[in-house]
Amino acid sequence: MRRRRTSSRAVIALACALVLAAAGCGRDSGETEQAEGQQVAEGKATGELTVWAMGTEGEKLSVLAEDFMADNPDAKVTVTAVPWDGAHNKIATAIAGGQTPDVSMLGTTWMGEFAKTGALDVVPADLFSKGDFFEGAWDTGIVDGTSFAVPWYVETRLLYVNKEVAARAGVTKPTNWQELKDAVTALQKEGGAQWGIYLQPGQTGAWQTAMPFVWQNGGEVLDGDAFTLDSSEATGGLEYYGSFFADGLSSKDQLRGGEWEPQFASGAIGSFVSGPWHISVLDELGAGDKFDLWPMPKGASSASSFIGGSNLGVFKDSDNRDAAWKFVSYLMRPEVQVKWYQTVNDLPAVRSAWDDDVLSADPMLAMFGDQLEDAKAPPSIATWEQVAAAIDGELERVAKGASSAADAAKAMQQKATSIGTGG
Amino acid sequence: MSQVRRAVTGWGFALPFAALFAVFMAVPVLASLVMSFTDIRSTDLRDPLAVDFVGLDNYLRLFDDELFVRAATNTAVFVVLGVPLTMAGALLVALGLNAGVTRFRTVFRVGYYLPVVTSIVAIAVVWRFLLQPDTGLVNTMLGLVGIDGAKWLDDTRTALPTLVVMAAWRNLGFSMVIFLAGLQAIPQDLYEAARIDGAGRWAQFRYVTLPVLRPTLLFVAVVTTIGYVQFFEEPFVMTQGGPLDSTLSMAYHTYNQFGFGSYGYASAMSYVLFLVVVALSIAWFRLLRANT
Repeated sequence: MRRRRTSSRAVIALACALVLAAAGCGRDSGETEQAEGQQVAEGKATGELTVWAMGTEGEKLSVLAEDFMADNPDAKVTVTAVPWDGAHNKIATAIAGGQTPDVSMLGTTWMGEFAKTGALDVVPADLFSKGDFFEGAWDTGIVDGTSFAVPWYVETRLLYVNKEVAARAGVTKPTNWQELKDAVTALQKEGGAQWGIYLQPGQTGAWQTAMPFVWQNGGEVLDGDAFTLDSSEATGGLEYYGSFFADGLSSKDQLRGGEWEPQFASGAIGSFVSGPWHISVLDELGAGDKFDLWPMPKGASSASSFIGGSNLGVFKDSDNRDAAWKFVSYLMRPEVQVKWYQTVNDLPAVRSAWDDDVLSADPMLAMFGDQLEDAKAPPSIATWEQVAAAIDGELERVAKGASSAADAAKAMQQKATSIGTGG
Repeated sequence: MSQVRRAVTGWGFALPFAALFAVFMAVPVLASLVMSFTDIRSTDLRDPLAVDFVGLDNYLRLFDDELFVRAATNTAVFVVLGVPLTMAGALLVALGLNAGVTRFRTVFRVGYYLPVVTSIVAIAVVWRFLLQPDTGLVNTMLGLVGIDGAKWLDDTRTALPTLVVMAAWRNLGFSMVIFLAGLQAIPQDLYEAARIDGAGRWAQFRYVTLPVLRPTLLFVAVVTTIGYVQFFEEPFVMTQGGPLDSTLSMAYHTYNQFGFGSYGYASAMSYVLFLVVVALSIAWFRLLRANT
């Protein structure tokens, strides 16, 4: 961005050309209608498929692709591993250039944006049925009432509690807000922890910690096209989140990943909220048997947690759409979902996969499975990342005591409304 | 005939650069200028021409955007504190190395230059350790002399100044090398003449070194200012713009907006940043150009 000088005549000429070209266009004002996916042809999959996947999934998906090709000898699946860091841009660039793969793994919070570009194919109703999946996960693929992606794997958040601290404090699983608050206070006062809990005090991703409190209190992000972040339910949720900081139960300073786990293991932090990956993180720290899991507490309305994970979508420009959906459908078979769990530890998005002994026999996993039945995701709107950043900023103000929950809720509502839903 | 051939040869040599520049610099730069007058978002990727022209709306919106105003203020503070600090520090070190230190001169030069070539990510890790409120070296040392150190990066009052110091430390080496070259180019007879006229050390610096160094000062001032106006890496790796947006810079805010897919709005922001860079560079030239 440093060298930006060029002949001014060229600038004007090109600008004029582009202005003229664009003046004739402009936005369509038409509303997008709800759509049903086209049926997929019967029979085995054939032809070539390109599949993009991120992170560990990208590295290991070829294992399942091999199985699929054994079942469908005329199909050839090529898996491309994409690093998470560049994935969003890579997909955006592919859409802009019309060079999309057939199938891609998609972050749940990207759905609104990519679906709105019109690049994604609608999920065929004859292959996938909503009831097979966790509701919160299925909803992440729905944009304006139309389903554009199928949940592939999921994760949700529970409370990790240091066993020794809890024993000293004499607390057991809390069931509602008041009990959780009392338990956390006890972890700090009687249990000897410096901090009773660690909740992320604002900054990127803090909404994943705070929104469950809003949901538990009956609040919502969106009602139809209007944001409802300043409803009394939402404000109540934020108040509860803020009270942990105001009462000195959680640090107001953000701890980086890798900083709080050792403190949790040593008992300096009594508890924290996180997903299933922390089981192995704590294992590696030698604290694998030092913690208990608690479900989310029940607020005025529910005991919802956050649901994350990734979806699989098929692109409209795919030359081999039917085979692409058949591959996605193969990955959703319960036995394949279980195998995927055994391969990369991804929790199945398909509910019946949880009946398999591999998952149901592990009490910790079973707790995540139970929580998944009551877990929600933010609405799939094109501007979610931007709205989330605004929410994160206000959460930081609440955590640091720079703003009351009510003021923060109003500011969130005002900022979110000015950002809009991108629709 | 030979003139034509010369022209062809000239263009032949210039072509590789000109073509690359036109395709990879000029076109994107112009496209982003046009984008800054439209409401283009990432959802328009498949059909980038189906967007509405909004005139100067994006530019006007900037001034209502509290975060942008905040980011602009932070950037201004960073530049106003950082540029003089870096230049003064670099000049001091260069003077010292030029005059006083004769032994180990290379060691010092390498030492001061090392941060310039070290990856910002590595620097960030080390500085985070140094600045840890409870266990960091900085606060431990301060504790030895009885001062309670701040939570440097977690306090809205100290986060930006901390980044200024870090940036000055990191960029000092580059300016130092330029200053050293400038100092070594000053003819010794000027100093001899000054000494014969009875000039002391300060007078020599004030009336010989500084005036002769003026072009060097101008170059360093412009380059440092351009770099600092676009400051991004330090908050990106150290604070993510926090706490409470106290280290959010204009470039960082622009980066975020591009990330959110608000391409039109973000383009408008980058053009404002560009204009600021141009204006400040012109100001430096006015201030430091050779007296004619």
